[in-house]
Amino acid sequence: MTTATVTVTIHEAPDVIQPRQHGKPGGLLRYCNFVTALILGIVLAALAYWITGMFTTGEALNANFVPIGINVQITAMYVGWVVGFMIGIGAFVGPIRWFLGRDLTHADAEYLAGRGQGRMKFWKYTTDHKIVGIQYLIVSMALLGFGGLLAMLIRTELGVTWAELFNPNFYNSIIGTHGIVMIIAMIVVVSGPLGNFIVPIMVGARDMAFPRLNALSIWLLVAAIPPLASNLALGGLRDGWTVYQPLADQAPVGMIGYQITIITFGFSTAIASVNLMTTIVKMRAKGMTWSRVPIFVYGIFASSLMGLIWFPMYQYSQWFALSDRVINTSFYVPAQGGSVWLYENLFWLLGHPEVYVIVLPGVAALLELMVVFLRKPLFSYKFAVAGIFGIVGLSAVVWVHHMYMTGWAPSSNYPFMLSTEMISIPISFLVLVMLGTMWRARPWTRLPMMAVYAVVWNKVIGGITGVFLSDVPVDQYMHGSMFVVAHFHYMLMGAGLFSAMAAIAYWFPKMTGRYLDNRWGSIGFWVAFGGFQLTFLSMFAAGLQGMPRRVLQFDSLFNVSNWISTIGAYIIGIGMLIFLAAVINSWRSGEIAPANPYGAKTLEAQVPTPVPPENFAVLPVITSDPYGYGSPDPYELEDEARRAALEGGEPAKVGAS
Amino acid sequence: MTIDQRPPTAEEGPEEPTNRPTPMHLFRNWLKRRYAKRLIWLTLIISAGWIAATFLAVYFMNMSGGPASAIMSEIELTMYVLAWVCAPLMGVTLAIALYSMIGGWGRVKGDKQPDQDGPGIRNNSIATIGWAVWVSALAAFLVVWGLVELANIQAFANGSVAANQQPNSQQSITVNVTGQQWVWTFAYPDQNKVTTDVLVVPINTPIYFNVTSKDVVHSFWVVEMGVKIDANPGAITNTGFTATKLGTFNIRCAELCGLHHAYMETQVKVVTQDEYNSWVRENGGVRLS
Repeated sequence: MTTATVTVTIHEAPDVIQPRQHGKPGGLLRYCNFVTALILGIVLAALAYWITGMFTTGEALNANFVPIGINVQITAMYVGWVVGFMIGIGAFVGPIRWFLGRDLTHADAEYLAGRGQGRMKFWKYTTDHKIVGIQYLIVSMALLGFGGLLAMLIRTELGVTWAELFNPNFYNSIIGTHGIVMIIAMIVVVSGPLGNFIVPIMVGARDMAFPRLNALSIWLLVAAIPPLASNLALGGLRDGWTVYQPLADQAPVGMIGYQITIITFGFSTAIASVNLMTTIVKMRAKGMTWSRVPIFVYGIFASSLMGLIWFPMYQYSQWFALSDRVINTSFYVPAQGGSVWLYENLFWLLGHPEVYVIVLPGVAALLELMVVFLRKPLFSYKFAVAGIFGIVGLSAVVWVHHMYMTGWAPSSNYPFMLSTEMISIPISFLVLVMLGTMWRARPWTRLPMMAVYAVVWNKVIGGITGVFLSDVPVDQYMHGSMFVVAHFHYMLMGAGLFSAMAAIAYWFPKMTGRYLDNRWGSIGFWVAFGGFQLTFLSMFAAGLQGMPRRVLQFDSLFNVSNWISTIGAYIIGIGMLIFLAAVINSWRSGEIAPANPYGAKTLEAQVPTPVPPENFAVLPVITSDPYGYGSPDPYELEDEARRAALEGGEPAKVGAS
Repeated sequence: MTIDQRPPTAEEGPEEPTNRPTPMHLFRNWLKRRYAKRLIWLTLIISAGWIAATFLAVYFMNMSGGPASAIMSEIELTMYVLAWVCAPLMGVTLAIALYSMIGGWGRVKGDKQPDQDGPGIRNNSIATIGWAVWVSALAAFLVVWGLVELANIQAFANGSVAANQQPNSQQSITVNVTGQQWVWTFAYPDQNKVTTDVLVVPINTPIYFNVTSKDVVHSFWVVEMGVKIDANPGAITNTGFTATKLGTFNIRCAELCGLHHAYMETQVKVVTQDEYNSWVRENGGVRLS
């Protein structure tokens, strides 16, 4: 990105009244960290459980004959945990200071941004966007590791066709937990680390628009995870990640952990989305018009927009489910006028856009980085933007394709088949942008670039099987089968996770100051990619043969495809461990990277590494988009010569190279 | 490949019919480029591979004995049609990506940043507009095909039979299907309330299902017939089929319904009309007409 040099005249600072410093900088926040948060969370959880226990009896049953008393206690316990954790981390210090009229002094703000605290700043309520980005990276990697471990357990059970390793309760619980943990991890894995670390620098801002909300969003996410993970100890989450009603109402109290997690995570997502969108809209550098914004920023913006609009639907579905459980409402109880279809509609209103929330930032990151490795301008920038916003628009009107076979409204299958097949048009725009950028370029074969090819393959397989599933007659066979599982793993993992790996590899030097080891990173990536093909191509076969999802035992017809899937899954596991080892090793002792390791023209490549506080000494002024690559085109010159020759009446003499 | 479209100036006089390149000329010139023919071949090979894969897919679908109804035959036909019209698009996409990856346009290895940029192509209106038109036409075709086929399979579910099938009897049979954790129950209200846990139906006779559930959401999936509908508590959903093949086929639950979801499966026996009548009598039912 071309930046103009600006002469800045610094005027004398006017006499403003500085707020008075109360105590040491940071105040109460000096005593708040992850450990105090854990302690306070556990104390408040126990306290809430004990107090509500005094007021509830174990005898009353709700409409689904589930005892209300224990449900109230467990709900109070989880709410106590979240509130206690947030108090302990110091989330309420800011609002209280504001009530007391104690504005932040400069020293307070410096403390809040984590200056001079060493590694401790990663364990605290720190507002610097770069620290929040690293925190998101660690949290999402931990979630992916946990979800991946559960996936290994699932595949082990399905591969061992001659015995039942787990009881049905445990098996169904790990299926549900794997699903929702991976969904949460994939929602945050690009928008969290890169959205927070890279985007503010990329748009030329000194920090996010709301630094404290930024810290709030990451710590709400951290607070949301233990309720979900604890379900395994409280009877399990045995209803899949979709937790359809009224099955979920029958479930043990572990289900409340899921509901509290979704509600809390919904707040975290909303806060993060608002923050990112405000930063992108209001804090772009001077001269960065909407046609000069890097395409990755568009991807993050679109993803945040969809999350902000649609996540509340999912939250409502869980609020209602929780109130059916603990205060005897009957949103989803058919015998009392409720509807199971209400739940399914609310759930899928987020459930489908969430796929684009996950995939768009990753694909946009690939568009951003492939330009650098191909040394060519992004092909048809406006087409890419149109594709992104086409997806955002259509994502609102496709959710019923998850309900083709529910019998809810058979006539609605016709219009929703139309809208679902239409969404292939904007998606194909993004594919064309990728192909056009590759066209006649000489790729620099680093890991992030090679990952682009892997993702194109996965997207094609996922997309074309998606065409099958969008078609109602074919879906009548495929719905609820392993075919669907393989399809969405191709989209969410094949396109989502693999592009996230590429994006993290690409921005790793900026975030850590060191290169990600190309050799071992690539080995891990391609081993995982190979295992992925083995696992999910044979899972397509199992689905075509008629194997339903989420089963523990099955017809011997499906044995072979499941054995292959399980072998493939272990290969993925090995590949991911190699990649993880490469990440950890490179982070500790990798080769030191320069500020602009790949010769990119975006703003984040122009600031020094490690990125200084407040990112820019002088805010940049933008005069062009960041895709100004390109040498004269030999074919164009040749065409020119040929045309001149033709117009001169002589045959062309230049042979094609 | 931009062509100078400026109108002739006064000095140049009126435009002459010259040997100005036509689109066909341009295309032939493009074909002379080294990569052009290779890309076309790659596209053809990948498309052909994909078409071969669809035969494999339908082979997998038929491994347990299908298709056993006109609905399933239509589903398989639709699989072929969807796959084949998408094949060129898939072929082009993968061909370009593969050609770029294997270094058809050259590539740069090693740690050092490439010193030379690629051609500065920022847009190509032929490519973008052509692509948008192609994909939109494809989507439009898929939608129209899907709508027609959906109407078709609904008609089959409602008892009409395919043109090449002559029904034994226009008499249809209604079966009330009830899902509960974790069994299927089939009641034949027309036959004096015969109740069974294995579905028995006569061949070439339209069967209607009223599907409901006693507890949670199940999904009634008759695999080889290509029929699936959720069983919801507090509501009745409808589907149907006309079996066209004798034999025993699978019924599974396709919606997670609790601990023993995996075991919620049974069978459908397609028998001749005579066998069906005697089965009804043996089970204490009356053939009402």
